[in-house]
Amino acid sequence: MASPGGQGGGALSTRGGGGAKRMKWALELSLGNTRSRGDRQGGQGDVVYPIGYSEKPVPDTSIQETDKNLVEKRCWDVALGPLKQIPMNLFIMYMSGNTISIFPIMMVCMMAWRPIQALMSMSATFKLLESSSQQWLQGLVYLIGNLLGSALAIYKCQSMGLLPTHSSDWLAFIDPPQRMEIMGGGMVL
Amino acid sequence: SLSLFAIIRYCLYILFFTGLSPFLFCRRQQYVGKVRFAHFDTHVQSSKKVVVATEKNVFAALNTRTGELFWRHVDKTGSEGNIDALLLQGADAVLVVGNGRLLRSWEVNIGGLNWEILLDSGSFQSACLVGQQDNVKYVAVLKKTVISLHYLSNGHQKWIENLPDSETVDYQAVYSGGNGEVYVLGVVPHSHIAVVVYSVDDGEILKQFSVEAAWLSNIQTSCAVVGKGMLTCVDSTTLSLYMLDLHTQLQMTQLPLQTLGLEVDPGFHPTLVSTQPNAARQPLSEFFLQLGPEHYVLLQLNNGQIVTLRDFKPAMLVSFATTGEKTVAAVMSPKNKTACGLNLFSADTGRRLLDTTLIFNMDPYGGKPETLYVQAFLKKDDSVGYRAIVQTEDHTLTFLQQPGRVMWTREEALSDVVTMEMVDLPLTGTQAELEGEFGKKADGLMSMVLKRLSSQFILLQAWVSHLWKLFYDARKPRSQVKNDVTIENLSRDEFNLQKMMVMVTASGKLFGIDSKTGTIVWKHYLDNIPSNAAFKLMVQRTTAHFPHPPQCTLLIKDKDTGLATLHVFNPIFGKKSHITPPALPQPILQSLLLPLMDQDYAKVLLLVDDQYKVSAFPSTKNVLQQLQEMASSIFFYLVDSSQGRLSGYRLRTDLSTELIWEVVIPPEIQRIVSVKGKRPNEHVHSQGRVMGDRSVLYKYLNPNLLAIVTESTDSHQERSFVGILLIDGVTGRIIHEAVQRKTKGPVHVVHSENWVVYEYWSTKSRRNEFSVIELYEGMELYNSTVFSSLDRPHAPQVLQQSYIFPSAISTLEATLTEKGITSRHLLIGLPSGGILSLPKMFLDPRRPEIVTEQSREENLIPYAPELPIRTEWYINYNQTISRVRGIYTAPSGLESTCLVVAYGLDIYQTRVYPSKQFDVLKDDYDYMLISSVLFALFFATMISKRLAEVKLLNRAWR
Repeated sequence: MASPGGQGGGALSTRGGGGAKRMKWALELSLGNTRSRGDRQGGQGDVVYPIGYSEKPVPDTSIQETDKNLVEKRCWDVALGPLKQIPMNLFIMYMSGNTISIFPIMMVCMMAWRPIQALMSMSATFKLLESSSQQWLQGLVYLIGNLLGSALAIYKCQSMGLLPTHSSDWLAFIDPPQRMEIMGGGMVL
Repeated sequence: SLSLFAIIRYCLYILFFTGLSPFLFCRRQQYVGKVRFAHFDTHVQSSKKVVVATEKNVFAALNTRTGELFWRHVDKTGSEGNIDALLLQGADAVLVVGNGRLLRSWEVNIGGLNWEILLDSGSFQSACLVGQQDNVKYVAVLKKTVISLHYLSNGHQKWIENLPDSETVDYQAVYSGGNGEVYVLGVVPHSHIAVVVYSVDDGEILKQFSVEAAWLSNIQTSCAVVGKGMLTCVDSTTLSLYMLDLHTQLQMTQLPLQTLGLEVDPGFHPTLVSTQPNAARQPLSEFFLQLGPEHYVLLQLNNGQIVTLRDFKPAMLVSFATTGEKTVAAVMSPKNKTACGLNLFSADTGRRLLDTTLIFNMDPYGGKPETLYVQAFLKKDDSVGYRAIVQTEDHTLTFLQQPGRVMWTREEALSDVVTMEMVDLPLTGTQAELEGEFGKKADGLMSMVLKRLSSQFILLQAWVSHLWKLFYDARKPRSQVKNDVTIENLSRDEFNLQKMMVMVTASGKLFGIDSKTGTIVWKHYLDNIPSNAAFKLMVQRTTAHFPHPPQCTLLIKDKDTGLATLHVFNPIFGKKSHITPPALPQPILQSLLLPLMDQDYAKVLLLVDDQYKVSAFPSTKNVLQQLQEMASSIFFYLVDSSQGRLSGYRLRTDLSTELIWEVVIPPEIQRIVSVKGKRPNEHVHSQGRVMGDRSVLYKYLNPNLLAIVTESTDSHQERSFVGILLIDGVTGRIIHEAVQRKTKGPVHVVHSENWVVYEYWSTKSRRNEFSVIELYEGMELYNSTVFSSLDRPHAPQVLQQSYIFPSAISTLEATLTEKGITSRHLLIGLPSGGILSLPKMFLDPRRPEIVTEQSREENLIPYAPELPIRTEWYINYNQTISRVRGIYTAPSGLESTCLVVAYGLDIYQTRVYPSKQFDVLKDDYDYMLISSVLFALFFATMISKRLAEVKLLNRAWR
């Protein structure tokens, strides 16, 4: 008794419904032991698939063209993401003002941290964009977007006065000059 | 950077800090000065007061049990408040003040003023109480030309009379024997004595006569009235006693001392000591005659005859004391080198009273006894007991009780501190031991290990003994645990807040005072200090160079001869150093402490003599070699205010000098009042100021800059002026010059960092004004690594602003901190006795008149001409400090804290925090809460981590 479905609980029967691992044939030694098939529908129990039937849906090659476009679009979305955030960031920046308090500082930290994080996980993003034909261009756009984002954060820091760009920021590090002459004296006692 | 520093410090001190409260650290000690008159208050039996009038114009009552002040009245300084006479009658003390200007009566019990009257002008000669029928009702005041009698009860004048022939006769003394007559004694030098007798009732002249006395020139120094109105005088040229009965006005009888078997020490001017126990009765007929520095004779006038009762030799001091009807004589005689014996003798017979010996142990570092005040009292068995106050040369008052117990001592020399320094205390002995181990050179591994082990063992030993002491003290009741400061437990605290105050007083006594408790740790009296000496105290070696002891040097210069001596001592123990200071045969002009050190880490002191030659101390080969190498960069300046000459010198390698610059300020027009350089231990943390646009304005920090203040000699209010001159001490270059017209001194000036603040009186507006000068290099530094006065082509920018100050001031100083990060305050001593801590921020020439965004950014206070005095700025709260003469500031180990000592008549020590205590935790810091929260969080993290691990493992098994 041979059944291509490989039903039953025989030692040789395959488990799992993955088509790729399906055996060409299988020998079912014990009949009626179908309860152990957890992945089968009840009705299909002993049904032998007809030749040519595959459980896996055959990919439709007719819509392949539009799919490609979708991937491309999706990739562009990913690449343009940071750039799109810039207007939003500008708005937040404007709203938070230049005073140094906890909320503006948190905003600035977030604004600075996100592009940096994105730049650090650049390789992962590239993998995402692998399927796209314009991978390099998209990558470049993504990079520029993030750099712009961090530039914006730096600008914000600058306008908040957090960057040591003035001479006064380095004042504390100037050592007192060394004295060349020794002098003393006073009123004649 | 301040906030960053604060955070770091804050974190550090969470671990180390033990609470400090600002109110615990101020200490005031009140003094009265050298005693001129002292009277025991005897009008009530239980009174425990001694009333003193001092040379500092202070009138006070001291508690005889404790030596503390009951009350104190501080009069004007100088001759205006000078106390000429003090007469005590019952509960009233009558004072003649200001060369006979005022007559005052004080109530002794509470120190309240009974009355005060203004006397007619005329220089004061003498005063005495006048009584009638055992009742003292008046006080007679003798002046150059008049005598007046006042009621004791209200001060009203009973009568005033002009003295006859006051142009020729010098009236010097007034005496009353209680018989309704007042005797005025005058002298025409080397001619005769003039006596005028007034009636107490109406001031009528009852008698007037003169007696030949060609040998007499001064009644007060050589005469006394003894017994029943017998004027007794002693003459040092003829060596005889002269006696004149004031009632019978016979001839003066001469009695050569030889006939009494007495001999005067050669060259000694003999004097008389008599006593009049009750002003309404006659003086006693017994009196002392001093024949030599240590030789007294007790004499008695008996029916016109002089009888010798007892000869006291050696005797240093004598004094009479009366209780009830008994009068005793106290005699102090030397016992051995360190102790004196005090004995009572009956005044009538000269017999020694039994059980009255009192031993006075002299301080080996003090002076000799100078004056003796004795209070006698009757014991229950009718014998005489006594207490005594001994005043020594070093202005110390010692109160003694039988049989030689010192009840208290008062160091009145501290009422006149001339100069002081604060010296770090040494690390504890054990710490020093460890320090010494690491300081020494390594000599073999094994010995180093042994040394290390031994020092660790010593440390362990000290710790155990400390624990034992703690345990031992804990068992005793709290009141018995003494907090005595001894040399053994003197050690530096964690933050170096406790220091040794080395004080030099005008009397020549040096003191070492622990700044924390105010205890006098050591004292040292330098005898033969000239009365007008100039002192300069220098710290040559600090405690940082163990095992070398710290070393201070005091330069004492006699202003008359110009000759100077050096006293080298250890500032912690007060001991004179074994180092012999160099003999200085030439007059010394100035001294200069160099930052160079010899091989024993002592800083080199240069002394400039009147030939402008320099000698070094210490002057070892090493030092001389260093000096030769450094000579070209050693400069000094001298300011001669009498000639108005400022001159700068350069040292040559052969220790001679060459004059390199000279500035003459014509002394006819203005005179130099003060010269202020910068303090050598001052640190400036910030080299510039941050502007509103966040650029930097760099400070002009010239360490060689001198601020010279001049005052015009013309004191007319339209033409008087005050000038300030900023001059470079190396090159003599005048950096800035400013003149304040229509102003006059006294000028108080502070020079620090890049600013000079001075205060003067504006005669035009009749107010006190402050002026501040700040110097800036500009927006760029010329040379940020080295500062050389010889290479400074650009003149600094000068900013100046003036303000009105609502009070006169008596002294001015700036706070000083370890690193100069803390903002500066000015400490202003006010004549009212307050010390004001005024933020330097208010004295800032950049204060804008119109507020801009940038000035607001810079935290500049808008300009207002008046400086405020806020009551919370008084650092001494209600503890008034009389006559503040100087304020000394010293940095502590904490950056936020500056130690302040104000001295004058009183001494006051405190700490100030100009930028608040940013580097210490507050008193109410909740250690428990913070630490329990921390621990709770820590354990919560640990537990939740464990739980999370278990949960992950379980999930993996599923």
